[in-house]
Amino acid sequence: MFTYILRRVAQSFVVLILVMLVTFTLPYFQYHGIRAPAYVVLGTHATPANVAHWAQANGMNHPYWVRFWTYATQVLFHFNLGHSFKQNMSVWQIIALYIPRTIWLAVAALTFTILIAIPLGIFQASKRNTAIDYIATGSAFVLYAVPSFLLCLLVLDLFSFHGPHLPSSPPQGVAPWAIFTDPIGFILPVACLTMLSVAGLSRFMRGTVLEVLVQDYIRTAKAKGCSGRRTLMRHAFRNALGPIITILGLSIPGLLGGALIIESVFNYGGLGIQTVAAATSLDVPVVLGITLLASILTLSGNLIADVALGLVNPRLRIEGTK
Amino acid sequence: MTDPQFQETDEVIDPELQDTINDTFDDTRPEEIVDKTVPLWRQRLNIFAQNKLAIVSVAFLLLITLSCYLVPILHPTNQTNQAATFNVPWNQHPSWAHPLGTDSSGYDVLGRIFYGGEYSLTLGFFAGLITIVVGTLYGMISGFFAGVTDTIMMRLLDAMLSIPYLFLLITLITIFNRSTVFLIVIIGMTGWWANARIIRGDALLIRNLEYSQAATAMGASKLHIIRRHVFPNSISNIVTVATFSVADAILFLSALGFLGLGIQSPQTDWGTMLQLGSVQFQNGYWWEVFPLATVFILVVVSINYIGDAMRDAFEVRLLER
Repeated sequence: MFTYILRRVAQSFVVLILVMLVTFTLPYFQYHGIRAPAYVVLGTHATPANVAHWAQANGMNHPYWVRFWTYATQVLFHFNLGHSFKQNMSVWQIIALYIPRTIWLAVAALTFTILIAIPLGIFQASKRNTAIDYIATGSAFVLYAVPSFLLCLLVLDLFSFHGPHLPSSPPQGVAPWAIFTDPIGFILPVACLTMLSVAGLSRFMRGTVLEVLVQDYIRTAKAKGCSGRRTLMRHAFRNALGPIITILGLSIPGLLGGALIIESVFNYGGLGIQTVAAATSLDVPVVLGITLLASILTLSGNLIADVALGLVNPRLRIEGTK
Repeated sequence: MTDPQFQETDEVIDPELQDTINDTFDDTRPEEIVDKTVPLWRQRLNIFAQNKLAIVSVAFLLLITLSCYLVPILHPTNQTNQAATFNVPWNQHPSWAHPLGTDSSGYDVLGRIFYGGEYSLTLGFFAGLITIVVGTLYGMISGFFAGVTDTIMMRLLDAMLSIPYLFLLITLITIFNRSTVFLIVIIGMTGWWANARIIRGDALLIRNLEYSQAATAMGASKLHIIRRHVFPNSISNIVTVATFSVADAILFLSALGFLGLGIQSPQTDWGTMLQLGSVQFQNGYWWEVFPLATVFILVVVSINYIGDAMRDAFEVRLLER
């Protein structure tokens, strides 16, 4: 098991280096290439001499690999993601300020997604091709087709502006504990994010459980007189758990992307809203820094999913120790 | 006539049946064994047609696509002319002159729906096309050559897949400009990773099946095996994934439109329109969002239904033989 985890960590590290290579290389394709930051910082009318001086002062004239080495060591050993062009803060300060809020939103939504999507998948698969299954599949189809922001705005209109008058925005304080000052404000954003990810996942969930239900061991369990409930819980669910964990690990990028939209709609200052603001003001280091961080979150999610997979699946565990 | 069953009979065989038998057992023309009577595309069409929902979807999609491209030409209303909106009342109720009212800038909403649809559908189609072509090539090469090639290509794919999609899209749009062509290329070039995964799985499976191994043993070239065995046998997944890619591209374009990173004004796409409309909806101007939202959702749902029906139509095991 330990070797298995070690191998997966090494693999994730290689992938992380590749992601860093991508985020490092992308700015080279800007309009002014590598000199683009100079024009953002000094203004569009900067003289070539000024630009050249700025580039020299900021180490822009070094070769590509030297610059990548500096970037990588700064990121990996000093957690230094650079400095924002537009806000007088380092990228890391911006991230530290907003990340608890995004993580809180994503974790809350992920919890509810697991609590809803897994039972729903099992229920749909066991009641396959009944009216309930069709209704559930149909609504997931429609929910998947609604643009996420439109869904949020309709929910806002139905539950906040009319009807129960729930708060339309979560608490605004930036301090980490400000999250807990008004939990009711989180009902709508978390509900929306949960709905979106359940719609995305339910197709997979149903399919995964269905695939398990046609296996021979399920037939054997039924044949030996196992009750329907016991077959589902002890035989089907435990075998479907592996793929379900993998899918949950893979759903993290979608969750973060969804959080980006949710934050914009509900005006909840998190990483997503910062990314959009930075993107519209061409603040490249912030965009790249947050993107890199989001990739690291995704990678760790996949890693945790794989380790959990090793824990629930004895076959993988044995393979790992060999 | 090599089959002993037919050689040993003395009965006179009906000439028409004789032809069929000749065709069936003529081993010099192996391609024609499968179906002499019903061509393959016809069989697939038949299976597709069994799915009534898919037929309705195709009809609806055709109607919307045709309207999007033809209505702005046949019935030009004010859809993009900013100067002409000054003497038009904004947020006007539906009337005979404007069947779906006017929006917050004074544009005709109905005309604008078709005009925006032109952009959304074109972008969705071409981005989906790029997605599937690149994804298929990458997946096929990776899966077919396996080994070291596969490992390297898959680790690269892992790196790309671990960057959250929407974040990457925003990064790219920040760095490149926002013209229509770039939007197509960016959405297309960032959307194929999951497709490549699926198709690589197929290719990996098929290359190890008996018929591919037999072809290798008979000295077939790699290109031949990919073209004649791997590709035709994974076509079911390719077509399905392609259809879903188009729907996804339309959805992602709408998300970009919401964030203000989509098509720039006065041109528009459905995402941008929905965003502007939903702001006005809070003021009670329902006609700026509900008609378009209905069309949008129906378009995406029907593309998905068509994808489902395509999967059945291209599923070889369902063909009548």
